[in-house]
Amino acid sequence: MNNVLRYSGVFVVLVLLQLLVFNNIQFSGYINPYVYVMLIIILPLSLPSWVVLIIAFLAGFIIDAFSGTMGVHTFATVMAGFVRPWIISLNMTHEAADPDISPSVQNNGLRWFFMFALMIVLVHHLALFYVEVFSFSGFFRTFLRVIVSTLFTTFFIVILDMIGWRR
Amino acid sequence: MRSLLNFLLRHKTLILFLFMEGLALFMLSSSHNYHQTVVSNSARSISGGLTEKVERGRSYFRLRDVNEGLVRENLLLRQRLEILQTDTATSFIAFSDTLKKLNYNYLDAKVVNNSVSRQKNFITLDKGRNDGVINGMGVACSEGILGIIVGVSRNYSVAMSLLNLDFRLSASIAHNDYFGSLSWDGKNHRYAQLSEIPHHVIVTPGDTIVTSGYSAIFPPGLMIGTLTGDKKKGGDFVTLKVELSPDFKKLTNVYIIGSLNKDEIRRLEEEVVNE
Repeated sequence: MNNVLRYSGVFVVLVLLQLLVFNNIQFSGYINPYVYVMLIIILPLSLPSWVVLIIAFLAGFIIDAFSGTMGVHTFATVMAGFVRPWIISLNMTHEAADPDISPSVQNNGLRWFFMFALMIVLVHHLALFYVEVFSFSGFFRTFLRVIVSTLFTTFFIVILDMIGWRR
Repeated sequence: MRSLLNFLLRHKTLILFLFMEGLALFMLSSSHNYHQTVVSNSARSISGGLTEKVERGRSYFRLRDVNEGLVRENLLLRQRLEILQTDTATSFIAFSDTLKKLNYNYLDAKVVNNSVSRQKNFITLDKGRNDGVINGMGVACSEGILGIIVGVSRNYSVAMSLLNLDFRLSASIAHNDYFGSLSWDGKNHRYAQLSEIPHHVIVTPGDTIVTSGYSAIFPPGLMIGTLTGDKKKGGDFVTLKVELSPDFKKLTNVYIIGSLNKDEIRRLEEEVVNE
């Protein structure tokens, strides 16, 4: 119960952070970090996948409603939520920590958390940017945007986690 | 029945996933009229209020640029006034010319939200239905045109930015009046493309591109940008690269332009087409 409350708090803070701060960061027209993907990353590993999907849908829908991009973010977050179990099993090592607590640098180590975040963010951004353009014309330019934004988003997510503001 | 239930339960994640992605794509495909939906309208009034507060703080840092822009525009208006005054002065008699009656009116507005990094960018403004803003009005700043209003709520309106893959506007080359279609290719927020210009038209880098006034959204002759000289040939036409004169990354004060005769023009055109 306590965890649900804390997660709800994190949810609100991350959405606000995304809408008020990160949506205003635009380096050179290519990079727009979407740190709210962290909402999907920090869910406990043991959480049933259908719950992850519903939370991902809600997160995407709220971001969509507030930034006027109906469906784009929802599509991307649901996609990221869906592949999360496979990414977990890919990354799972014997030293992985307790699956009932939420992933973080402190619990899982920097290397694990970084790889985990990077892969989820990559899936999210791939879906996001290609659905946004809605065509494969200019494939490589969109791909460049995906890669650069993925690096930036992951960087910010790791930094945010290391600051440890959600404890 | 039991096996069907078992099947559904076993694949509930996959089914949920497909259902939600379907829903997302449905929302996406019907997004051109999303401004009418209640959800985003109420969300917009909340986020509009929030972003307005943030924007109010940020606009302080742009005061110098804004002032300089206003001075430049004042100068331009003074010059125009001069021309108008000499125009009427040559006739000696006072007359009311119905041809020169007001065709457009202007409303000033502040930008509360804006983006340049997406493929479909929108600009949110702090004037809405209560101020008389309706869909299809133009948005411009002192440097040039910015977009077209596509959604209006009570106190806010949303304009489709020129930096939007769906944006189309009739634009012409100022010195020879050849017109083409202006659009944005989604690559760089400083440049747009002017297509459908015939091969034989001679252009030089630096030529001014202005609104043609054909769509009755903007008055003719409003600044859009200048030609860079880059050309792309394809079929019977060339596509010219246009450097946009407004900097979309720092917008604060803008105008909403309403055409007073647009409805009349459109009705007439529809009548002719229908006959």
